Amino acid sequence: MKHSFIALIEDKCTSCMLCVRECPAWCINLDSHTVEVTEEGARRPKKVNVLDSFDIDYSLCMYCGVCIDVCPFDALAWDEHRALTSTNREDMILGIADLRSSGNA
Amino acid sequence: MNREFTWQQVEPDQWRIKVSELIDSGFFYFDFLTGVDRENIDGQSDCEVVAHLAKPDLSDSRIIFTQVKSELASIEDLAPASSWYERECAEMYGITFTGGDTRPLLRHEGLGRPPLRKSAVLAARVLTRWPGGAEPEIREDGRKVGNVSRRRQRPPGVPENWLTP
Amino acid sequence: MPRYALTSEPRVCVEIVSAALACCTLELQAALGSGVLVESTELDASPSVIVIAGTVTDALVPSVMQLIRAHPGVKVMSFGACATSGGPYWDSPPVSKGIDQFVEVATYVAGCPPRPDAFIQAISDLACSEDA
Ligand code: SF4
Ligand code: SF4
Ligand code: SF4
Repeated sequence: MKHSFIALIEDKCTSCMLCVRECPAWCINLDSHTVEVTEEGARRPKKVNVLDSFDIDYSLCMYCGVCIDVCPFDALAWDEHRALTSTNREDMILGIADLRSSGNA
Repeated sequence: MNREFTWQQVEPDQWRIKVSELIDSGFFYFDFLTGVDRENIDGQSDCEVVAHLAKPDLSDSRIIFTQVKSELASIEDLAPASSWYERECAEMYGITFTGGDTRPLLRHEGLGRPPLRKSAVLAARVLTRWPGGAEPEIREDGRKVGNVSRRRQRPPGVPENWLTP
Repeated sequence: MPRYALTSEPRVCVEIVSAALACCTLELQAALGSGVLVESTELDASPSVIVIAGTVTDALVPSVMQLIRAHPGVKVMSFGACATSGGPYWDSPPVSKGIDQFVEVATYVAGCPPRPDAFIQAISDLACSEDA
């Protein structure tokens, strides 16, 4: 495992905001909304957060791993190395699709 | 080496006397001197100056500390090695070491508040939007769903009374 | 000024000036010594790349600018989070918040520090884009 990319496992993320709040570089941005879901057999509907967007600004990220450490749901993980270079600073902000794990961490 | 540190509080006007005493009793290896901003700790608002002196074979050492308002007598003449530390402490904590070397060491002059004081506002933290303030949005046809916490979220390390953009 | 060629692409030569300002420099040096880049004696080297690796404090900005201006037409690579945005020192008053505030940057390399292979990739991309 090389400490050179942070992947988001979207399905595990509950939008709890912990990583966003703990990131020392303030470089994670998360947008989410709440819906009510009634599960079969359940008396009352459950409130569930739905993740709308999750961005890491890799031009600012210091690869400290605090976000991975604080995530209670293991939704963030070190991932296989992806050298991230860009001709444009805005392109270094990666969203959910670009943050998916390569599968061979 | 496993050894306990002996801490001792000293009155500010006894600072030089204490250092001389220590040096005379063999603690003449001057290790370091630094400041500690006590603001918001134990209700204190003073700064503390801490110094560590040891025997040259490191068999024993003493840490002395004192509460200062803004001035403390320099010990540069007693322990020349303290000079850089005093100059650093002066520019980082805003403490004047009277009788010592007053030239700046690391910072350019006129850069504002001593940066290691808690009262030194990091402008970038005030001007940048903190992404952690967001909460899951409530969208269900305007119907209120979800537990939106009433507690205003504050970024870590930013005191309550700091300016907000 | 050292001149390097990519072993995979020996036609492509780059002149690299590096401004070694902080910890990122170590990774840069590891990349230069990795064998992927070899020192070259080719004369028609292009492009010239200047790598700003490390923390740029406000006090250093004039020196960095002077270095860049001394090489007209040079491409600037912002290597690491510090040079790109201030990185870990994004909130520190004496640190500049990215060199693109005062100079045009051709390539940004993410990381704190970026790994040597990130540099190799960035320099190859830059050299090949010039080639095309
Ligand atoms: S590694 Fe550190 S700087 Fe990067 S997103 Fe995670 S917490 Fe933020
Ligand atoms: S800490 Fe984990 S679960 Fe919570 S928002 Fe971040 S990634 Fe999602
Ligand atoms: S980006 Fe990280 S490794 Fe590079 S100079 Fe800044 S602190 Fe050092």
